[in-house]
Amino acid sequence: MLMLNSVDELLTHIKDVQKDVIELSSESLMKMSGFMEKNSLEIDEDISMALQYQDIITQQLNATIEAIDSMRQSIEIFSHAYESDESLATQSMVKLQEKLNATLKDAKDKKNRFSGKFAQNNEDEDIEFF
Amino acid sequence: MPLVIFVDDSETALASTRMVTNSMPIEVRQYTEAQVALADIQAGMTPDLIITDLNMPVMNGFEFLKALREVEATKRTPTLMLTTETKPELKQQGKALGLTGWIVKPFNPAQLKQAITRVLRLPA
Repeated sequence: MLMLNSVDELLTHIKDVQKDVIELSSESLMKMSGFMEKNSLEIDEDISMALQYQDIITQQLNATIEAIDSMRQSIEIFSHAYESDESLATQSMVKLQEKLNATLKDAKDKKNRFSGKFAQNNEDEDIEFF
Repeated sequence: MPLVIFVDDSETALASTRMVTNSMPIEVRQYTEAQVALADIQAGMTPDLIITDLNMPVMNGFEFLKALREVEATKRTPTLMLTTETKPELKQQGKALGLTGWIVKPFNPAQLKQAITRVLRLPA
């Protein structure tokens, strides 16, 4: 159980760092875009992309934060089950593993989903009209 | 001038679209929450074009689109999805809901301008 407490603390720490990265990267780019707007600077493709990377970074990190929350919840459920009846430990461990695997699968799926154009091979499909 | 509204929970995404469109002959309003944009529409705002993100907390792009189609003034308003999502089944879902088009992030500024120009039939 002590090991799981350490894992939980580590996950909480990673989550806190990710939240800080989201906030700082957003603040950084908002200052840049504020400066550009204030000085009526024209935006080109590269700058536009750079601004949009932050949005993708935020979505990717938020998806991993969701995964961390889900993992912590699964670990907590396992810990309670283990503490209440150690004889169920093996069964609980199997369930924990299944939940962690499902969380990992969901997180990987979101990594692809939230990659936008980077996940595409064909750049011609940026805009599609119906 | 035609009114274009952008809805995206990302401030940097909105800043990016604002800088791309500031030289265009359009009026732009931006929202970080779809439900706030919807409230303004229900209160009488009549946009000529709506460009919305898909993944947003509280009300996502599809929920927003469904709600727009229930308001008389925006039943047929052209609406573009601007998102990181590329899955064909999501595009189909959007199409079925009456979406005009799908733009994948990160967008190319020139292509976004072209899309707005085309939908609003602005002089090229």
